[in-house]
Amino acid sequence: MSSSPSLYVDRDTFLHRLNARSKMGLLLGVFVAAYAFGDPLWVFVPLAASFVALVAVGGWPNFKRLSFIVVALFLVGFAVWPAFTDPGGDVLLSTPLGSITEREVLFALGRSQRIAAFIVGGLLFVTTTSNEEIVAGMRSIGIPYAFCFAVGTALRLFPTFLGSANTVRQAQAARGHEVGGRNPITLLRSYVPLLIPVFMTAIRNVQTQAMALEARGFDTRGERSFYNRQPFGTADWLVVVLGLAVAAASVWLRLQGYGTV
Amino acid sequence: MRELVTMWRDTRMIMLVAVVAAVYAALLIPFAGLVLVPGITAVRPGNVIPVIFGLMFGPAAAWGSAIGNLINDIFAGTFGPGSLFGFIGNFFFGMLGYKLWGNLGPLSSGVEPDFRENAGRQLVEFVAVAVAASAACAAIIAWGLEVLGLFPFSVLGTLIFLNNTLATVVLGPPLLYLTYPRIKRMGLLYTDLLHDEDLPDTGTGQAQTAALGLLTIAIAWVVVGIAISMGVQDVPFAADQGATFGEGGATVQIALGAIAFLIFLGLTSISGERLSELID
Repeated sequence: MSSSPSLYVDRDTFLHRLNARSKMGLLLGVFVAAYAFGDPLWVFVPLAASFVALVAVGGWPNFKRLSFIVVALFLVGFAVWPAFTDPGGDVLLSTPLGSITEREVLFALGRSQRIAAFIVGGLLFVTTTSNEEIVAGMRSIGIPYAFCFAVGTALRLFPTFLGSANTVRQAQAARGHEVGGRNPITLLRSYVPLLIPVFMTAIRNVQTQAMALEARGFDTRGERSFYNRQPFGTADWLVVVLGLAVAAASVWLRLQGYGTV
Repeated sequence: MRELVTMWRDTRMIMLVAVVAAVYAALLIPFAGLVLVPGITAVRPGNVIPVIFGLMFGPAAAWGSAIGNLINDIFAGTFGPGSLFGFIGNFFFGMLGYKLWGNLGPLSSGVEPDFRENAGRQLVEFVAVAVAASAACAAIIAWGLEVLGLFPFSVLGTLIFLNNTLATVVLGPPLLYLTYPRIKRMGLLYTDLLHDEDLPDTGTGQAQTAALGLLTIAIAWVVVGIAISMGVQDVPFAADQGATFGEGGATVQIALGAIAFLIFLGLTSISGERLSELID
């Protein structure tokens, strides 16, 4: 596990400079377009657009890191969906166990591409948006400050606990503790000595951290100001309009009967 | 239900939300054990967190579990529309523990969940709570991904339910035995942090009805959803997803889920908690 688990890539691209809210608007367009259609040719458009954008903003290492997940989800979806739809069209493969028709393949391919489009779209967002920008974006769309504070704090604590979880695992291994076994119950039981130190280390600091916050006048009900407030400029408005237009056009095309299997 | 809102006034509860979320996310990644389906799910010991923390930290664990799962999605690269349903599912996964404990009538042990006295009855109650919370989480996420047309209900419903239940039932009792007394001594149980007026003012009968209703609906939803998806006993809508809602999943599956979810919300809104009365 790398020391920095974040997928954010610090670059100065057009997407990086956008406000988190406008990126959410753009993401909405990608997600609606991927959701609206079932035909793999039509679903391929938002998938390809997201992928090209991801590579352009320097997200290729992230994609490589997660390609196993994308491929696995794609293949599982592709294997599962034919059993859940009506057969139709030409028989492409006939075996003693059953046959696969053209419609089943297209349906499964469309659904698998949709899964991939959602993942690549989400990856594009987290690649171009830092944790602080995500929290600021949440606050700026009206999510209560206390909730945003909890998310922001959790995002900051997460790498620390991730490191301590790995340290505990290595420390217990050095003492001869073995984690393993193919039996799920035995495997799970072997985690007990690892989980207790992680829990207690994390919980022990809650009182101190709460006191430190209150000593500095922490109040979730008051109006807050942010040091790093991102402006919402013309480019952001244009991107939001583009995202909404893509979403509306996708729904309209779908209602006209385009993009179905 | 008001404690889910009023808890945001207390600094220590807010810190607990952040800590639960960070611990949950931190344990999901490095401690992913036996892989069940590559890329989708593994036997994850971290899944024990929502239920046991729910019993100790109450509403903070509900919010913390939801946020922790969201953070996991962000860092694991699976952030997307499905994350919304992951958020809601994990919220209920963390919430049902403190809502159900002590309110399950004949299944309840009548003592706090420290596995010190009446251990056998506590185990029965804990298994019931774990099954209900796991079923609720599984049903909500499986339903959500069916709505999005990503995976059939039976695929994720079965996997998430078994995965959550296994981790919680196997790891929950020993972890509660070892951690509950320490956290109680620290004064960090939600019953110590929340004021009396913040806790739900619900009669015993109503709280029990809501808790048993939540248990029943959670299990029924996941069982019926899987049965419909698998086409058990020739249920007419069965595996055939010819009748689909837009480009989402089967219309009947979506309708069933919507009804079950509304009932779930209704029961949650009238539910209470009894741990504050059970703690010495």
